[in-house]
Amino acid sequence: MPILSVLIFLPLIASLVVAFSPDQFKAYFKWFTLGVTAIELAICIYLYQNFNHDVADYQFLEQLDWITLPLGNLGIGSIDYLLGVDGISMPMVLLTGIVMFVGALSSFQIEQKERGYFSLYLLLTGSVIGCFMALDMFLFYLFFEFMLLPMYFLIGIWGGPRKEYASIKFFLYTLFGSIFILIVMIALYLSVVDPVETAVRIGLINDVSEITPQIITEVQNLLKDLKIPSEQIVHTFDLRFMPDAGNFLPDSWLNILSGTQIFSFSARALAFILLMIGFGIKLPAVPVHTWLPDAHVEAPTPVSVVLAGILLKIGGYGFLRIAYPIFPEVATEYAFVIVAFGVLSIIYGAFNALAMNDLKKMIAYSSVSHMGFVLLGIGSLTSEGINGAVYQMFSHGVLSAMLFLLVGVLYDRTHDRRIDSYQGLANKMPLYTAMTAIAFFASLGLPAFSGFIGEVFTLMGGFNSPLIPRWLTAIAAFGLVLGAGYFLWTLQRIFFGKYWVRQFEGTLEDLTFREKSMLYPLAILAFVFGIFPHLIFDLTNATISELLKLF
Amino acid sequence: MTMLTDFGYILLFIIAAIVFVAVILFLAKLIRPNRPNEEKLTTYESGEEPDGNANVRFNIRFYVVALIFILFDVEIIFLFPWATVFGNKRLIAETDGLWGWFSLVEMFVFVGVLLIGLAYAWIKGHLDWVRPEVKTTEYESKIPTSLYDKINQKYSQ
Amino acid sequence: MNAIIALSLFGISNLFLGFLNNRKILLPATLVFILIALGLNFADWNHEYYWFNNMLKTNNLSVNFVTIILLSTFLVVAISRSFGDDDEHSHPAEYYAILLFSAVGAIMMVTFENLIMLFVGLEILSVSMYVLTGSDKRSLRSNEAALKYFLMGSFATGILLFGVALVYGATSSFDIHGIAQGVAKAKEQMGGAYGPLLYSGVILIMVGLLFKISAAPFHFWTPDVYDGAPSIFTAFMSTVVKTAGVAATYRILSISFPSVYGLWGNPLVYIVCATLIIGNITAVYQQSFKRMLAYSSISHAGYLLITVLAKRPETNSSLLFYSLAYAIATITAFAVLMVVSEAQAKNGKADESFEALNGLANNNPLLAFSLTISMLSLAGIPLTAGFFGKFFVFSDAFSNPSSLFKWILVIAILMSTVGIYYYFKPIIAAYMKKGEVAKIELSPLYKFILILTTTLTILLGLAPDLVKNIF
Repeated sequence: MPILSVLIFLPLIASLVVAFSPDQFKAYFKWFTLGVTAIELAICIYLYQNFNHDVADYQFLEQLDWITLPLGNLGIGSIDYLLGVDGISMPMVLLTGIVMFVGALSSFQIEQKERGYFSLYLLLTGSVIGCFMALDMFLFYLFFEFMLLPMYFLIGIWGGPRKEYASIKFFLYTLFGSIFILIVMIALYLSVVDPVETAVRIGLINDVSEITPQIITEVQNLLKDLKIPSEQIVHTFDLRFMPDAGNFLPDSWLNILSGTQIFSFSARALAFILLMIGFGIKLPAVPVHTWLPDAHVEAPTPVSVVLAGILLKIGGYGFLRIAYPIFPEVATEYAFVIVAFGVLSIIYGAFNALAMNDLKKMIAYSSVSHMGFVLLGIGSLTSEGINGAVYQMFSHGVLSAMLFLLVGVLYDRTHDRRIDSYQGLANKMPLYTAMTAIAFFASLGLPAFSGFIGEVFTLMGGFNSPLIPRWLTAIAAFGLVLGAGYFLWTLQRIFFGKYWVRQFEGTLEDLTFREKSMLYPLAILAFVFGIFPHLIFDLTNATISELLKLF
Repeated sequence: MTMLTDFGYILLFIIAAIVFVAVILFLAKLIRPNRPNEEKLTTYESGEEPDGNANVRFNIRFYVVALIFILFDVEIIFLFPWATVFGNKRLIAETDGLWGWFSLVEMFVFVGVLLIGLAYAWIKGHLDWVRPEVKTTEYESKIPTSLYDKINQKYSQ
Repeated sequence: MNAIIALSLFGISNLFLGFLNNRKILLPATLVFILIALGLNFADWNHEYYWFNNMLKTNNLSVNFVTIILLSTFLVVAISRSFGDDDEHSHPAEYYAILLFSAVGAIMMVTFENLIMLFVGLEILSVSMYVLTGSDKRSLRSNEAALKYFLMGSFATGILLFGVALVYGATSSFDIHGIAQGVAKAKEQMGGAYGPLLYSGVILIMVGLLFKISAAPFHFWTPDVYDGAPSIFTAFMSTVVKTAGVAATYRILSISFPSVYGLWGNPLVYIVCATLIIGNITAVYQQSFKRMLAYSSISHAGYLLITVLAKRPETNSSLLFYSLAYAIATITAFAVLMVVSEAQAKNGKADESFEALNGLANNNPLLAFSLTISMLSLAGIPLTAGFFGKFFVFSDAFSNPSSLFKWILVIAILMSTVGIYYYFKPIIAAYMKKGEVAKIELSPLYKFILILTTTLTILLGLAPDLVKNIF
């Protein structure tokens, strides 16, 4: 069974079902959505269990020809519907399953235009999960762009008072970045050759299934000697072929040997930088992070959960899936710069979080800070660092989902997010206090919680890496102290002392059943992954060691 | 470069035309007696006594008639080149007389197209000086008139 | 090429159909006429024919362009709703006839083999458009637009004609292939240089044609004319006239003057950049949806010209695909604009500002959805036809080895980001702004056209090779 396609198309079809079902079923839309995301989660867990830990290559591959374009004397362009997961995407797919399910539960509070909301939510689910599984760069880009639309509407229609500003800012920032990715994509497309299809074209083999490594080498040699007529060359977006330098046309821009210069920059370096900007906006890395606090503040709780929990991870995932394997030598050369931006994000995000009075903004900036660790880990180009980065992405997905849910709980009751509006909540809401404490401690990196593993491994990677100076990583470590600072300070201000809430009559109720059912599992997950980090590391290890061979 | 000289001829023609006109006008000015009187200085209107401002409004119907006239008048130009080849003896001999019929039919088609235009203008009533009353169509609108009244009432307040 | 003759006859029959007392027959009759012409057009597929003593030439490229033109005409006619057939001042029979005549002009502009035919086609198209622009006789704006368009347009045609004369002087031919030979010969005689006659001739022809496709700096008429003309004719102008203009420009530049690329390429670089920048930046500041669409049409002329400039073997198909995607999306946008602006009319005048769209999605989901898809397509968001249009154009520019194209690409990409900002304004208005648009009753045909264009936009975004392989 094409299980990955099911994972993508189930929510897409469900989205259409919701969009076209009559109004009298309005009350069931949320249950339907919850059911669909539950099935998604079940499939993700099934995938997780059947994932072969020892194989570095892609698994559960699905391939269909999608678009074939004759390009005249440029050859033939082919775009495939190509899905698969490996050690880097598997944790992300699992995370998507978890966060989307929790988000669906949290969406029960949506009370206006349910049809549109749940239909868009399911659309978002499908496109995000597709983004993590696409192995054709074009397909990846398609999902990458396409998920902006539901997100844009989800913020723009169901958001807070400044929703229009926040949603268009979110959209323009990300789109600006994705256009950079588009440029690199076109350049790669014109440079990279599909050796398998080309072998079929020039008659070395009769069918794609007969391919062997020798044939690929033969095609690559022919390519190098310019022996293949240009009409027979099949251009491709296939990410599996892009890391191999032999698949690049000898005179193309992005061939490592051609040394093309654009604006007195090496073309490959330029392409890498463009990708970095594109994915950096998504991550978000300082200084292109400013859309994030705005989007978070205006988005409704479930959308914030999805945004922080999954969408940010696509930035980091893009680095590991596209930028790094294809341009390894540039990545090595610019390691310092990348890590420097990572450290800047860590420190800048943390200082901002310290200064915020709005609880949601505080958490948004803490996200910036935490995603800085991802950049640090990836930039270090060590096994610990990259493993840690993937781990940090997973852990931050779970924890930030939890944090935003917690803010949502408070906001639902009082419609006030200012930190200084609350005092001594521990007396009235003991369970809520406990959950917040767990989330805060896990986020600030207390051992035995998942946040700790991610941060420690990325820092270890940073210290071990020969490419970056020690002092830079040391500054990053200082970010941990700041993190402890803002989380503990917030905890103290809101929960301790005498009970007082600004301008609020009535009693604050503790967690309801629905809230418990969202928060408890997440807390348990944070704990489980903190104690058994091999649950994720087993997945990632083989793939990342394979990736590191490129450098 | 040959074409350049052809264009040179055209330039020469233009220059010659300007010079010729200027010279003639200048000569006339020198030779003719100059005795202006009031009659001579009035605007020429085909012998009519000029009356009132020159910027009067003409009846719009003049324009329509003039337009139609110009259209059909200009089409006559196309008859001249046709006439030169219609009776071409060599062509007739070469085609066994078929040429004559062919060109005749061609011209009928051409004039036929013009006729259709004339018919259109005629039916439209552009040829009548006094235009008939505009006929409203028999077409019944699906929207009842009461609806319009309602709208008028609603917005007239 | 029988399509030309058929369409002319149909136009005349349309005029006489107008004398029947039944105005309802006009719309279906015109649609059938266009479909017949479309069928006749396909008869030329896979043949290379010279027509009328080498005056016109059809090949697959021209058949494709004619198809796009006729398809656009079909869609525009289908959303015309008989021009409000309860209004006694409208002349639906004449409007339809003139639309058909102008389609004839457009077809001549994409099939011409002789510059005389280019001129005749351009004039047929332009004169028809002058009339249609001013067809809203009681509106001052419409009158102003028509006069402006007429004065500027005839001036541009004059320039074009002067260019044709000069090129004739330089190459002693009106035939576009003959000109190519003449240019080569002239270049040989001059030792690689080109004389002042050819130089000014090519530039003047280019100026005349660029005026018609409203490329900056010859775009000044566009916003006023597009804004003043009745929306239905604006839709026609921004699709059919633009497609024909770009096709004609491409035809003459690529067939007659490929050997003097430097001569027209260098000025065109600046024109493309200016068009992109002016079109997009000015569109941001518009308050009226219709005016925004006018500026957007300027900017799309810029994108189309990029691929003309890139001069790749794929330019043919990129140009076709882009024109098709752009035409479908624009017609959808105008279709929505027309019904909404009429429903929101203030003091008897149609409200064409963005505010008219506020809250459209509440009662009119189909209109809002079609509008969204068309805007996304114009902005070039993936899974819509517009994305692939831009993708192909950018690929062409990319694959041209000249380093100049990197700069053009930088500008084009920055400007498409700017474009996203203003294309989202209607979407924001329709879905997020508070406002009330009553439920608008649409005729079945209108609904069908909206669904058809929206589906086509998405379909071409999912599977561009469906048509790209034909082109």
